[in-house]
Amino acid sequence: MNGEQKIMGRRHPSSHGRALSKSLAVVGVASALLGALPSLAATYDLTIGKTKVNITGKESTALTVNGTLPGPTLRFKEGEDLVINVTNTLDVDSSIHWHGLILPAAQDGVPGLSFDGIEPGTTFTYRFPAQQSGTYWFHSHSGLQEQAGVYGSIVIEPQNREPFRYDRDYVVVLSDWHDTRPEAILANLKKQSDYYNYDQRTLMSFFDDAATNGLDATLADRLAWGGMRMTPTDIADISGYTFLVNGKSPAQNWTGLFEPGERVRLRFINASAMTYFDVRVPGLEMTVVQADGNNVQPVNVDEFRIAVAETYDVILRPTEDKAYTIVAEPMARTGLARATLAPREGMAGPVPAQRKRPLLTMADMGSGAMAGMDHNQMPQDDAAPAAEAPMSGMDHAAMGHTAMANGAMANGAMPAADGARQDPFYAPGSGLLPTAANGGKFLSYADLKAQKPLFEDRPATREIEVRLTGNMERYIWSINGKKYSAADPIRLQYGERVRFKFVNETMMTHPMHLHGMWSLLDNGSGKWNPIKHTVSIAPGTTVYTEVEVDAPGKWAFHCHLLYHMATGMFREVIVEGGPQTAQAN
Amino acid sequence: MPVQFSKTFVAAFAVAALSGAGAALAAASHDSGQDAGEAAAHGHSDALPFGEVGLAAEADRTIEIAMKDNYFEPEALEIRAGETVRFVIRNGGEFLHEFNIGTSDLHRAHQNEMKAMMESGIMTATGMNPDMPNMAHSAMDMSGHAHDDPNSVLVEPGTTRELVWKFAAATDLKFACNVPGHYESGMMGDIRFVKPAQADS
Amino acid sequence: MHFITTRGRLLAAVLAGALAPAMLAGPVKAAEQDDQIYTFFQLDQNEYRLSDGDDAYAWEAQGWAGTDYDKLAFKTTGEQVIDGGLETAELQVLYSRLVTDFFDAQIGVRYDFEPDPERAFAVIGLQGLAPQFFEVDTALFISEDGDVSARFEAEYELLITQRLILQPSAELNVAVQEVEKYGTGSGPTDIELGLRLRYEITREFAPYIGVNYERDLFDTADFTRDEGGDVDAVSFVAGVRIFF
Repeated sequence: MNGEQKIMGRRHPSSHGRALSKSLAVVGVASALLGALPSLAATYDLTIGKTKVNITGKESTALTVNGTLPGPTLRFKEGEDLVINVTNTLDVDSSIHWHGLILPAAQDGVPGLSFDGIEPGTTFTYRFPAQQSGTYWFHSHSGLQEQAGVYGSIVIEPQNREPFRYDRDYVVVLSDWHDTRPEAILANLKKQSDYYNYDQRTLMSFFDDAATNGLDATLADRLAWGGMRMTPTDIADISGYTFLVNGKSPAQNWTGLFEPGERVRLRFINASAMTYFDVRVPGLEMTVVQADGNNVQPVNVDEFRIAVAETYDVILRPTEDKAYTIVAEPMARTGLARATLAPREGMAGPVPAQRKRPLLTMADMGSGAMAGMDHNQMPQDDAAPAAEAPMSGMDHAAMGHTAMANGAMANGAMPAADGARQDPFYAPGSGLLPTAANGGKFLSYADLKAQKPLFEDRPATREIEVRLTGNMERYIWSINGKKYSAADPIRLQYGERVRFKFVNETMMTHPMHLHGMWSLLDNGSGKWNPIKHTVSIAPGTTVYTEVEVDAPGKWAFHCHLLYHMATGMFREVIVEGGPQTAQAN
Repeated sequence: MPVQFSKTFVAAFAVAALSGAGAALAAASHDSGQDAGEAAAHGHSDALPFGEVGLAAEADRTIEIAMKDNYFEPEALEIRAGETVRFVIRNGGEFLHEFNIGTSDLHRAHQNEMKAMMESGIMTATGMNPDMPNMAHSAMDMSGHAHDDPNSVLVEPGTTRELVWKFAAATDLKFACNVPGHYESGMMGDIRFVKPAQADS
Repeated sequence: MHFITTRGRLLAAVLAGALAPAMLAGPVKAAEQDDQIYTFFQLDQNEYRLSDGDDAYAWEAQGWAGTDYDKLAFKTTGEQVIDGGLETAELQVLYSRLVTDFFDAQIGVRYDFEPDPERAFAVIGLQGLAPQFFEVDTALFISEDGDVSARFEAEYELLITQRLILQPSAELNVAVQEVEKYGTGSGPTDIELGLRLRYEITREFAPYIGVNYERDLFDTADFTRDEGGDVDAVSFVAGVRIFF
């Protein structure tokens, strides 16, 4: 209990999360008990507004919650009734969505689905019980406000003892900041989809490649990509970001303190609009104990990739009296987020050089072939396929492998542990397959196993195919070839268990987020399949999730890359039948 | 030899699981001449610098250890130098756990072995894999080690096992579950050596 | 310089009217955002042409306002001799519809303010990105007199570095009928080849230098010769490419 006591010691004597918020003087997070209610209840006040920030050396305006970037950490306690007043001081509508929280549909904060949004100058009161525990976050679901800073973290303290121990507890919010207004970024992408790609292959890289691989091979490669009118450097849509840890730039170096020998829990939240991070702490092994707020069977890793909107809780055991660097490299290697764990303030560890950017391969383009070769039971959706499937330059050998791997995965086979670099959640030969910087263990989705299953394991009642589609050239993103504005809602029946088949037909990686209900990622672990709110689907792969349809109402279902969501990779999900809890309030 | 040994080990498990109580079996198997011989062949003996396997009959006291997913209750022990303790360890969780007495270095070394066993499939999160004798073989060849340490017992979910340990002089010891990820996430505790008057009995 | 005539004014008004709603589009809810109107304008050629005493200013611009699939587009190109008048000036206003991932079909009108006399055309065309990253723009024109012609344009962007870009371009015009009034023969009438090297200080602002070569072909060349003109012209160019 030594560790537990230390944690408690850092908290306000009342030991309650609300008290902590107050003691931290996080602006405006007031607390009050609703005396009449027998259960715990807490009131929070959040204000969305504009705040001047200087992150890059140039003054800019952020949209913030309670004046800080990121917004406050809301500390709830499992089982308490929450009352959260959100006041919008912007001159446009706003909203707060509680990412990953299970709550009535009307409290979910998606304008147009859950409610009408929060008009300028008004306050909306959210009321829902905290019926879960773990690490989550919140963000605006209006326009592109999330990119501009309207996000913060949520920590829900569990009623029961957690299956792990730690002495220190830090929230680590990763995010991407751009001085350009998000609306302007999107407009630029619409005008010129490679506007932000300053990592393209050039004549210089052609000569380099020709020297390495030979002229013929290099020419053939360039022609294959040219034939598809795609570029292998298209890892991220947007460059020019400054990557932040708890709102601090690499130079500002957010620091968390520890005493050697302690267990440190880091709650990583990827609150980025567009950026996947590869996270490591050189010199320390990390034990992943939670993913998306749900405990997982502990797994030791040297590095992990965190998709946009995911959370991972890890435990570190720094033993030496020295500074360790938390390194979060964006997948496209367009910079670095950096923070420090140190025994004392002002210390800094070495900051490693940025690694080489990955290049997509033909395997990452293989999704079209896979969709055709996947022998699953469901008939093909008859939505019109993309008029120009990006298949002209396809390598047929790669297609075969892809199909095989897909079959293996559907059968629940686990990846071979023979040291060969493979991961069933990347297309074989994928250029995106990550490697740990120290050559050690890189977390795979296949490693995630629920610590405690949340639902009885049962067969799905039906399968719904979700093809992730898009037009890279025109920056149009869609599902089954249709943008949100042109598509019908997906209708689910209360009480059914639906199996979603995600087929990524694009060359981008998409973190798919279903609101209101958990997504059980089928990684072959059966009843131990991990419980997630956001599931990342790499290019050229097919991934299955199952959903117990237990929440009536209208829910959002979308890619959590903000600009993909905004341009159409979004669906309304309507759960029909069931108790009308949402209206009862 | 390694094959034979592993079969003995797995068989011990099967019996332990069947008998439910299973208590003395592990200790018994450790104590048997055959096992001791095999352990010796592997470079082990039942004696370690900080203590050795004891006899239940000579135990000064019994300490009950509850295994949960993934932590021990209690989370720290107070021991008198030289005493023999009968540990009765009940796994009330859903996952396989280990009770291992050792130094930090020993635990670290053992974690690598457990990791190899997990990766080879001889061991899963919920128990030893009875379908994998060949795998067990190769795992042993790979790690040069099966789960045969005298200072340790593996306890499958829902079972109870015993370990009788005669502690030597006071030293820096911890008890731990070295199933991959468990020690790291906190399934371990300090063994504090106390003067005779201080220890509860 | 009678740049704007009655018909020209009409076209300009139509264009302005179409662009106005785009300017008013404000922030909307995420859920409604995927069908927004965006606007685009690019002055691809905006250059001084140094050519044997016939120095000229030349422009080539295009833009659009609209949603992903439906846009109102315009294209304009022209050349003004520094010591003379406007030699050519053309404006197209088109409805542009995305028909494949990479191509827009376009239909609309073209108006030539120069050469004199002014002329109007109906336009049908296809513009987009061909395999191997060739930007192509093809159009069929039918003049108010019923004369039919076609234009094929292609350009390529060779990245020397991320910001230093060499842009070769080619344009070929073909006529079905001979139109003596404008000095064009039937068949291929003229070709224009360009090579421009730009440095993108930003995407929006890229100074460049280059060389431009124009040549009249076949019967058209004969007409030009008969009028005492040069059938070909090489010019060195310097300009700024602008995008917003």
